[in-house]
Amino acid sequence: MIMMCDVPRYKDVDMEEINKIRDAHVLLNKVEYEPKQIYRGYTDKLLTIDVSDSSIKISDIPAEVKEKFVGGKGYCLRYLWDATNPNTKWDSPENEIVMSAGPIAGITQYAGTGKMLVCTISPLTGIPIDSNVGGFFGPYLKFSGFDALELKGQAEEDVIIVIDGNKGTIEIDKAPLEHLDAHVIGEELTAMYADNENDRKHVAVVCAGSAADHCDLSMLNFTFYDPRRGVVRLKQAGRGGIGRVFRHKRVKAIVCKYQGIKNDLNHVYDISIINKTGVKYHREMATQDPKQNNMRKIGTANTMKILNDYDILPTHNFKFGGTPNISEMEPKVFIENWLTQGGADGCWYGCSMACAKAADHFKLKTGPYAGQCVVVDGPEYETAAGVGPNCGITDPQVILELNFYCDTYGIDTISWGTMVAFLMECYENGILNKERTGGLELNFGNAAADLELLHMTARNEGFGKIAGMGTHKQKEYFAAQGWGDINFMNDIAMEQKGLEYSEYGSKESLAQQGGYGLTNKGPQHDEAWLIFMDQVNNQIPTFEDKAEALYYYPRFRTWFGLVGLCKLPWNDVVPENNALTDEPAKVPEHVDNYLNLFYGVTGRKIDREDLLVMSERVYNFQRIFNIRLGKGLRKHDAIPYRSVGPVTEEEYLSRQERYDGQLVEKAGYTKEQMEAMSLQEKMAATRKYREGEYEKLIDAVYPKRGWTMNGVPKVEHLKKIGMDLPELLEIVEPLQDLQP
Amino acid sequence: MKRLVKDESLCIGCRSCERACSTAYYKVDDRDKSCIKINEKPEGGFEIKVCTQCGICYQVCNTGVIQPNPKGVYMLNKKECVGCLMCVGYCPEQVMVQDDSRSEPSKCTACGLCVKACPTGAIKIEDC
Amino acid sequence: MMLNDRPYPDWHEGLTIQGVIEHMNFTWPKLVTKVNGQLVWPEDYPNVVLAEDDDLKIHHLLAGG
Repeated sequence: MIMMCDVPRYKDVDMEEINKIRDAHVLLNKVEYEPKQIYRGYTDKLLTIDVSDSSIKISDIPAEVKEKFVGGKGYCLRYLWDATNPNTKWDSPENEIVMSAGPIAGITQYAGTGKMLVCTISPLTGIPIDSNVGGFFGPYLKFSGFDALELKGQAEEDVIIVIDGNKGTIEIDKAPLEHLDAHVIGEELTAMYADNENDRKHVAVVCAGSAADHCDLSMLNFTFYDPRRGVVRLKQAGRGGIGRVFRHKRVKAIVCKYQGIKNDLNHVYDISIINKTGVKYHREMATQDPKQNNMRKIGTANTMKILNDYDILPTHNFKFGGTPNISEMEPKVFIENWLTQGGADGCWYGCSMACAKAADHFKLKTGPYAGQCVVVDGPEYETAAGVGPNCGITDPQVILELNFYCDTYGIDTISWGTMVAFLMECYENGILNKERTGGLELNFGNAAADLELLHMTARNEGFGKIAGMGTHKQKEYFAAQGWGDINFMNDIAMEQKGLEYSEYGSKESLAQQGGYGLTNKGPQHDEAWLIFMDQVNNQIPTFEDKAEALYYYPRFRTWFGLVGLCKLPWNDVVPENNALTDEPAKVPEHVDNYLNLFYGVTGRKIDREDLLVMSERVYNFQRIFNIRLGKGLRKHDAIPYRSVGPVTEEEYLSRQERYDGQLVEKAGYTKEQMEAMSLQEKMAATRKYREGEYEKLIDAVYPKRGWTMNGVPKVEHLKKIGMDLPELLEIVEPLQDLQP
Repeated sequence: MKRLVKDESLCIGCRSCERACSTAYYKVDDRDKSCIKINEKPEGGFEIKVCTQCGICYQVCNTGVIQPNPKGVYMLNKKECVGCLMCVGYCPEQVMVQDDSRSEPSKCTACGLCVKACPTGAIKIEDC
Repeated sequence: MMLNDRPYPDWHEGLTIQGVIEHMNFTWPKLVTKVNGQLVWPEDYPNVVLAEDDDLKIHHLLAGG
């Protein structure tokens, strides 16, 4: 086992090199400002930077915006809406990247309180994407006086933006020499803007990676300096191609510096509540985590083997729910051989859950950094599952190498994993071949080909250009070339609304199919993770039950992104007596913790219902934003059949007993009828039944959410939740009677 | 290695140690602000909770502001501390002090004031 | 015997909660278990013997960031 105390510090950057890079900067604009002190979680200030003309503007956030949109994702969507129009595309100059941390963000006493939300119109989906990310930038931006930052325009040459919250300066510089790869530029800018080594923890960097110049799957990296290791760590705003938009604007990085972190920079209403709630939670982590999820040892990848045991771990492009080789990469292997133990791996201060694990001095075998020893952040569950078994790979060395290169190139590991899995299935079905891929043999399990494709994507070469398009555009491209049947590809391409699925097999859980399909941004599990509740616990057997869950959880979980919180501390540990509560699944004591934190910070007392309404307003706003951009109706909530049932004979046969049984128990066939059917007939009958169930689920969910059967929020519902804003009514009123 | 050691059989529960600690560092006589704690045992007698310098506070701190001094005593650098209170929650003896009047918690420095205050010799400083 | 409102086909004399968990390969670390509505703590799983008409619920708590 590798222990923190035995990990040597990383080699320091060459300051001479850093000075050379700095000397090449050309100042485009610099403003001085008086940083507004935070009051009860808010500065009520918005920073707008337009890189087209290097203008910098500071404005007030009106009370109405605060009331309806709270902060975080609410603010991001509000300002993104205002900046864009129904014709705005991801690469339109008016498209913005908006970032906001939310009122609770920046307290240090509770776990998971440093989250930033980032929104933009996505190159993958054409609608708003929202991604939440840890690291230091969110809190530092707030301490520097801004509840939100909007970044617009398009620079002519590469620029960096530097905010110094102590001095009260914001500057935009031409920055020609900084490297693009995140682990390099992260170190460069951290060293450049720190006064000395001890000062490095006061520097936070947002950057993308070299792939973001052309790859639509690109994300944003947010740094935090790890003083123990002496190295810059990376967290990701991963989903939806935000990095692509960032680089399209020719922004290389945003730096925010703030010295003097203390636990009351939010100038909260009642610090005592926050202190007590925090200590109680830390104590719970200390006593319960080792008995429950082991988050401090392994992070989110603790579920890897478990999901395999429950037939949920996506394997071979979501065909199967597990792999016989799981023991090669089960949590024990990562804990004992790869991930440093005994460290303090929180991505913001006070995170006792500390899930940001790292493999230290990891020796790379491929690519431009081959032979170098680097720190690899992760792998998180989604990464390990996506680039791992979903692509037929179970070797930890390969998983970590893919993880590292995705991060530094700025590629979302979830999209990469799911997309490569699709390409591999295409390859195995003859839709792709060696000639079409330029020599890459993309069979499941071919790690070398996967890595080579990743490097080619970063260099924008050969088949790497195709990889950079993302799954949705790929299938259209392959069909246009006459390489494959579009219907088959629509069935197996695990994307919806243009976004690749995250890593849970949903075939045997109708509620989880809805948890993916009936989302705003596309199939990410952060709205509703109901797979166990439904598939294993059988707790929500009726459509009504499932609809209620698909109404409650997306609202509850949206709230984290409004206020600047991470969701993991909510339910990746539970109080010892949680089982005694009325609804253990909701972890009632933790919900009360959150109500207390919100009250302690803002002074505004809210109850559980208020919390849900806060979210519901923003949730409906986002749905209508989608409609405004042409992608928010029922037809857009359709999902690929691979997420619903067995597409291929091989899949049907792998679970034949279950599928045969369901034809009799659920689909209305007699045993004799079923036995008389051919395999193809059984598959067709299963498909008809399962697709029908999904439609029935939608029929149950939309009314619950106050939407028409076409998925349009009803005017009376918007009135009820206080979201009947004129710009929203203008969009939904003409659609109230439109049939699907 | 310098740390507090205890002999609970000698403790008479006078709480002079708690008083000495909280008065020295928080200027009040308040056992909640003492880094040594005396608890009555249900079966009679007293339990003495002291910092064993186990270093768990050091391990969980991601600011690196808790560091051992040459004597092996874990010292908290308040200037750089961000007041996350993880150390307080993780302390297995629950003898770190969190008080709302201050941003940073405090921990036992093995200063020996409690030892001097103890009339029976139930606690002493071990220095080896 | 019922498990999570579905008939449990492998009931036998002397079956304990632990036996069900092992048979079902329930490896999830956060389980809430009730027999006929009565909560059972994990340390008692090996000791609680199930009757043929028992209603056993083994609920897995959510996760997923």
